[in-house]
Amino acid sequence: MYELSFEDCYRILMEHIMGNITDPYSDDIVVNTRLPISVFAVIVGAVLAVGGAVMQSMLRNPLADPYTMGVSSGALLGASIAIVLGNSVMPFFNDQWMRVIMAFGFSLIPVAVILLFSFRRRVTATKIILIGIAMMYIFSAIVQLLMITASEETLSEIYSWRVGTLALTTWETIPVPLGISVFCGILIMYHQSRINVMMAGTNSAHSMGVDPRRTILVEITLVSLMTAAVVCFTGTIGFVGLVAPHIARLFVGSDTKHLLPASAVFGGLFLLLANCIARVSGEYGLPVGVISAIIGCPLFIFILVKMRRKSAWR
Amino acid sequence: MRLIIDGIEFGYSSIPVLKDITLDANGPQLLSIIGPNGVGKSTLIHCINRILSPNKGTVMIDGDLVNDISLKDLAKKVGYVPYSANDTFPLSVVDTVLMGRHPHATYKSLDKDLDIVYDTLRLLDIEDLAMRNFDELSAGQHQKVMLARGLVQQPEILLLDEPTSNLDIKHQMEVTRILRDLSQEKNILIIMISHDLNIAAKYSDTMIMLNEGYIYAIGKPSEVITKENIKAVYDVDSEIIVSHNRPHLIMLDEEFDDRECELPEGTYASNTKME
Repeated sequence: MYELSFEDCYRILMEHIMGNITDPYSDDIVVNTRLPISVFAVIVGAVLAVGGAVMQSMLRNPLADPYTMGVSSGALLGASIAIVLGNSVMPFFNDQWMRVIMAFGFSLIPVAVILLFSFRRRVTATKIILIGIAMMYIFSAIVQLLMITASEETLSEIYSWRVGTLALTTWETIPVPLGISVFCGILIMYHQSRINVMMAGTNSAHSMGVDPRRTILVEITLVSLMTAAVVCFTGTIGFVGLVAPHIARLFVGSDTKHLLPASAVFGGLFLLLANCIARVSGEYGLPVGVISAIIGCPLFIFILVKMRRKSAWR
Repeated sequence: MRLIIDGIEFGYSSIPVLKDITLDANGPQLLSIIGPNGVGKSTLIHCINRILSPNKGTVMIDGDLVNDISLKDLAKKVGYVPYSANDTFPLSVVDTVLMGRHPHATYKSLDKDLDIVYDTLRLLDIEDLAMRNFDELSAGQHQKVMLARGLVQQPEILLLDEPTSNLDIKHQMEVTRILRDLSQEKNILIIMISHDLNIAAKYSDTMIMLNEGYIYAIGKPSEVITKENIKAVYDVDSEIIVSHNRPHLIMLDEEFDDRECELPEGTYASNTKME
């Protein structure tokens, strides 16, 4: 691996901005390889954390996260099918984009099922969680089936997609997920007052002028869309969506007006830190999904024990 | 304000809960709904604020069908204080009460909304709790905060599902007295479900006794709380004494009423403060 210290990176970046590039090779590594990964780490962290905060507040469940509806298992199935079949289904795309498109499409299947279900029956927070879990098991079973029949090389590709990595990020990766995330994020912030009222329970929300059914369906669609937009590029990066909102709650409380921006900041910084550690770990670096769980869990327990701010949750 | 309920019926699947309920409630007053468990008291108030839609019949507020009023406009007319508060992610008291301003809120209204919140906290004498967290409060304080959240909606009709269920006798009296006073001061029709017949009879202007989905009795407390009605609806023998023109219920149980209460041997406590 090409060794560059923090000072080196800073100097190379400044030289690039000033237009005074002294080492084109290092410049290429920092600007076209390391920088897009770091920028995307912040975007992915922010998206997963905001998604987690919305799901936890709206479903009134501290264990909810953006993957609760089965987005990640849908994406994994889509990517696995693409890895197994290659680009034979859509020959006009290369392997990488084929995976992204299949992962994006499949990750939206669970929310589509929930929306279809809602036309016929009343949706509740519990039903959404149960449908998500059921979809997750179905998708996982199909992925297992694919893995049993897959070759060793395919198996390793599916496995590395499963643990989540930012290593394949380039500048071309960023615009589409960024655009979708900003669009969904703005709409979610516009609806933050409704999400806040949902914390009082569905009957109370109804009596305060918020339609709980419509709010749940609109917000899970937005969360699924922006989560799918990042997960289809990175694979399943766990823990950020669950933990970052809880850490944010310790500092700013549970009001979504403050919680959503704070979650975005904590999520972004958390994944950036996890990515830095992942890059310098081992000979070729480690997947960021592994590091985020390894550092996230003890950090969360430490903050929980040290701070115990009561307004955060019960 | 005027609430007209015309022949509503409601059932869960094939089990009927409300059967042909008709009611006309007019003007500011405290109206209590009483009756045994499972007779449809909560279902009735959920039909008034459209949490549930009746299978048959209509609910009208000031001449408008509730189904024709947008949910946001309905929330400006009808407030609701639920049986229990959700506190998975508790907020501060101010933020909890501020939720009630949601139907009125605009981007520029925060200062005005906060003024209304603090005025209401002052009215209920809980201003000192404003910055406390909801989960740090006692049951009585919870109840007052939830009441404040309903009141800041500035509704014409306020529905309360057992607002005194978790309270000691002092707080039961205090909260019910506040409701009675508010109905007059704020010109609100307050409809309260209660299992404490004596508290309801002491403070209510009107009482409704539900039984098996029907309105069994309606009228002044002295007309509703009678030995015959209590026997017919609750299957409990009782004596009614009248104190300050209000009926007061004493439950009777022949098997136990004549027994002397004896302290089982070996049961004692030291350091009691009782004289």
